[in-house]
Amino acid sequence: MLSRLFFSAAAAAAPCLKNAALLGPGVLQATRIFHTGQPSLAPVPPLPEHGGKVRLGLIPEEFFQFLYPKTGATGRYVLDIGLVLYFLSKEIYVITAETFSAISTIGLLIYVVKKYGASIGEFADKLNEQKIAQLEEVKQASIKQIQDAIDMEKSQQALVHKRHYLFDVQRNNIAMALELTYWEWLHRGYKEVKNRLDYHISVQNMMRRKEQEHMINWVEKHVVQSISA
Amino acid sequence: MAAQKLALKTIDWVAFGEIIPRNQKAIANSLKSWNETLTSRLATLPEKPPAIDWAYYKANVAKAGLVDDFEKKFNALKVPVPEDKYTVQVDAEEKEDVKSCAKFLSLSKARIEEYEKELEKIRNIIPFDQMTTEDLNEVFPETRLDKKYPYWPHKPIENL
Repeated sequence: MLSRLFFSAAAAAAPCLKNAALLGPGVLQATRIFHTGQPSLAPVPPLPEHGGKVRLGLIPEEFFQFLYPKTGATGRYVLDIGLVLYFLSKEIYVITAETFSAISTIGLLIYVVKKYGASIGEFADKLNEQKIAQLEEVKQASIKQIQDAIDMEKSQQALVHKRHYLFDVQRNNIAMALELTYWEWLHRGYKEVKNRLDYHISVQNMMRRKEQEHMINWVEKHVVQSISA
Repeated sequence: MAAQKLALKTIDWVAFGEIIPRNQKAIANSLKSWNETLTSRLATLPEKPPAIDWAYYKANVAKAGLVDDFEKKFNALKVPVPEDKYTVQVDAEEKEDVKSCAKFLSLSKARIEEYEKELEKIRNIIPFDQMTTEDLNEVFPETRLDKKYPYWPHKPIENL
């Protein structure tokens, strides 16, 4: 009679199990909505980090909550212990040698999981992190590459505005060279004319000097002549 | 005569150095040094061209009309300003350069747009820990595995 109660309770409790994830592999597929409607719901929403709360590592919280209104806090425990005792006493579950091996194996497993579970989980997470970090690096590298390309294009565009300096320099050079040439020509004209005038003056000076000397010589000669005569 | 009223544009030598491509640095340097030579020579020119002292010559040269003749001819002499047929070439070059720069600018802008699009695409990918392998192959096509070897080690065993 108690078993019938249990089965009906289980049937009634089935709908509320939909919210408890990590129930077991078979039930999981039934609870998530895969690719209905649109071709892909990428990104597929990630699995929740922690599964539904469980007590004693096995029994989901919802079972306990289900019986709470009717039987209070100890309801589920009473139900379970009563069931176990029933199975044992009626020999529905027979204690054999395998019972003891099962007990020791399960005890060992629980011990190992409790002691090293967390560190193994961290190790696995670290491996995953490394993979993801590598991919992140690739992504960042390609982002940086594209940024660099964009920046270079922008700087080259800035350079375009400065190109006129090249031609300014050339034009300045031309203007200065022309100015210099003009001045040279002016200066040459002046120099030539000055040369001619100076030539005339120096010719005059020379002639006068020659005449002076000749006159002096002539006068001397005649004075000497008149003296010695 | 053309005194110091040259319309010289001020040159930003830093910018001038920036726009020269690497393989033309020698020509650019020669241009710059030529410019400096010219400016220095221009700076040493006196303000006004030298004037001839006609009074002195008139007093000293014996020949009567020579000085007057020279003076008249000299003042009548007009030194032609050297004609400038080079600025036209420079202007033509500059026009062509402006055209090619405009073309380069437009191409560059098109390139920038493509880059921006790719940047957006890469920025908006879903975080890596929510990707499946197909999503990864979509974003980084180089991770796609060959259909011939779908199972690890993804290459014939001889190539291990």
